[in-house]
Amino acid sequence: MKKLTKWIADGTPWVWLNAAAVSASILLVVGLLILIGARGMGHFWPLPVTKIIYQQADESQVMLAGQIREQEQITARRLRESGVEVAQGSEHVRRYLLKVGNRDINGEDFRWLLEPSIISTSKPYSMVVFERQEWGVFIGLLIGVREDGKLLESADVWGEFQRNLGRVNQLRDEIEDLEKGSIGGVNYRLERLRLKQRGLEMDGSDTVQALAGIASERDELQQEYVRLEGQLGNLYSQLQRDAVVVTTASGRELELPMATIVDAYRPNQMDLADKIGYFFHNAWKFVADDPREANTEGGIFPAIFGTVLMVLLMSVFVTPLGVVAAVYLKEYAHQGLFTRFIRIAVNNLAGVPSIVYGVFGLGFFVYTLGGSIDQLFFREALPAPTFGTGGLFWAALTMALLTLPVVIVSTEEGLSRIPRSIREGSLALGATKWETLWRTVLPMASPGIMTGLILAVARAAGEVAPLMLVGVVKLAPALPLDANAPFLHLERKFMHLGFHIYDVGFQSPNVEAARPLVYATALLLVIVIVLLNLVAIQVRNRLSERYRGLET
Amino acid sequence: MTNQTPLEFNKSGAEQPTPASAGEAPGHNFAGQQVAVSVNNLNLYYGATQALHDVSLRIPEKQVTAFIGPSGCGKSTLLRCFNRLNDLIDICRIDGEILLNGRDIYADGVEVAELRREVGIVFQKPNPFPKSIYENVAYGLRIQGMNKRRQLDETVEWALRGAALWDEVRERLHDSAFGLSGGQQQRLVIARAIAVQPKFILLDEPCSALDPISTLKVEELINELKSQYTIIMVTHNMQQAARVSDYTAFMYMGELIEFGDTDQVFTKPRLKKTEDYITGRYG
Repeated sequence: MKKLTKWIADGTPWVWLNAAAVSASILLVVGLLILIGARGMGHFWPLPVTKIIYQQADESQVMLAGQIREQEQITARRLRESGVEVAQGSEHVRRYLLKVGNRDINGEDFRWLLEPSIISTSKPYSMVVFERQEWGVFIGLLIGVREDGKLLESADVWGEFQRNLGRVNQLRDEIEDLEKGSIGGVNYRLERLRLKQRGLEMDGSDTVQALAGIASERDELQQEYVRLEGQLGNLYSQLQRDAVVVTTASGRELELPMATIVDAYRPNQMDLADKIGYFFHNAWKFVADDPREANTEGGIFPAIFGTVLMVLLMSVFVTPLGVVAAVYLKEYAHQGLFTRFIRIAVNNLAGVPSIVYGVFGLGFFVYTLGGSIDQLFFREALPAPTFGTGGLFWAALTMALLTLPVVIVSTEEGLSRIPRSIREGSLALGATKWETLWRTVLPMASPGIMTGLILAVARAAGEVAPLMLVGVVKLAPALPLDANAPFLHLERKFMHLGFHIYDVGFQSPNVEAARPLVYATALLLVIVIVLLNLVAIQVRNRLSERYRGLET
Repeated sequence: MTNQTPLEFNKSGAEQPTPASAGEAPGHNFAGQQVAVSVNNLNLYYGATQALHDVSLRIPEKQVTAFIGPSGCGKSTLLRCFNRLNDLIDICRIDGEILLNGRDIYADGVEVAELRREVGIVFQKPNPFPKSIYENVAYGLRIQGMNKRRQLDETVEWALRGAALWDEVRERLHDSAFGLSGGQQQRLVIARAIAVQPKFILLDEPCSALDPISTLKVEELINELKSQYTIIMVTHNMQQAARVSDYTAFMYMGELIEFGDTDQVFTKPRLKKTEDYITGRYG
């Protein structure tokens, strides 16, 4: 008994409790990362193609080929209830989720298969998985390559195909350069010209001379456009030239135009090194490519770009504002009831649900401010809104508002940590209060400011709800940064990783295909936030290193 | 601020009634030296508590004057009145008059920043800025708008030599000031103060955080500096006051008890209280 009281008085139970709490937190975080990591990374791994002879419910047999994506045990009772006949005596039945692809032929690209109905499985050596521009993947056998309408007589069909794929991909790159680069630029300038003319007409200064100037400029651009379009048509016809002949697992032969094929691999022939190589190839494509097919295929580069750019812009807005506000509150304002009230209000702002900021951003920034800006500066574009609709600028501003309290609070904390003796030392040398702040106090408070910014970045990068209202879209036609002056297009809508996860996971027509993408995108979002934080933490550490040793 | 009022012409010196508690301080004869600071009937309050009671005294120019007394007697508070550092405390209130070289520093229209430039202060704990040694000394100069490299270099060297630190740091002027020892840091702070060429240097227990050897160096420095500056120091250490200062003021409970020549105060104190303190009977 005495031992027990001593044990409690020692504080040992507390130590254990604390340690348990820490372990639980670490376990949760690590578990989360492992789950997201494994599922997300799994998306890029080339799974083998299994060929299965399967007995359907109506006793007929089909030949299927596909990648087994998942397997699970379900109770026999559940199956019987849903009208499937299961042999007596078995409690559980294993079932497999097979990605069969070929959505254009089968109508669905995933099938659940019950283990008892599988008659035989094999892994044929030459099964090919084609990634296509649309209709998802095609899984089947490569029979031949048709160049310019005639079948190539070659022993090495795969080699011919690879050569052709290289050519097609190169053509596609050229087409994209032309469409987004030159033609995009011409279109952009044409639109600017149209708005200029409209503006002149509205001002009543549309003199014959001015109009003639615009018209000649437009003619020039039109000619340029026609020339580029000719080039583009030429490229497209070259792209359409070839096709491949393939058969499905059930033996149906068909032709796929080369233009629709993005990539292809033969998973059953790959050894581990090939698979690892292909894994990184896939992961890189995911990071660097544009999305396809309602975001369920392709990469997420625009979303990464949008997220990072929005966060950077937000930092540019929130840091000066938060620091200035904190400096006033801490250094200049009379410390009374009113300042205390303001401080409480600021702290409470941090607790306002983010969607409320979204509503405010939409109502005030987008409609009121944006609408006024359009009225004042972009009248010629009306009724099409320029700043009067959600866009990068308003999203960054809304996020800055949302993270402002964090920056204010940590800046204030940083300011109050600076020893009185340093301030007095500066004042005693004849520095004014402002000079003391600017030359000594603020640099020394910079680690505190950085802490605020780190928290702000983590919060802003992960936010989704308010962004949906003020500028994030499912699919943005163009990046907010391009080669057309003024280069940074603050009014453009943009894509965001957080919203992308929501969109792919819940708004997608093809749930099974989208699920791994959700994890992969989530993983990427975590990585982006970690990277942004690491940069900020690095900066903070360097700053505190510089101002270290204040306690001496 | 440049005109120096001789003792004879200081009206307050003659006309002001001598407060009983201040002993004979205001009328003390500095043997022809000029008065640099005169404090007349100074009362200071922190909110409702009165920290200084009707203090009056004269401090001679280019001498070392020490304030001694037990903790909390108001000597640091009085010192910080001379460069108006007490202004930073919201609840601090003052009445009375302080004249520095004849000018009332609490009068309307006094530029506080300018005043502080003329009255350097060194605190108990060295407080170098988190910058290089060079930038610490150049800080006050840059604030005054000096930004020519050569002029800065010369002044920094001059100030560091003045603070007897140059030989120790000349090789590492651009290293962090935090790399210096406590004693070196304190001399750096003194160099920083003299770089802006003040007329007064206030020392608020400058050696209490230092080891004996560093203390000795700082004391030697004080001795050298008094030929150019009026030095007022607060100290706990009576031996130090006796060693370094020319004049000593003994304060107790916010009042000035006795002021006089250091030798006289330590050997023949006029008042019983002073004697008790000096002989260690309380404090």
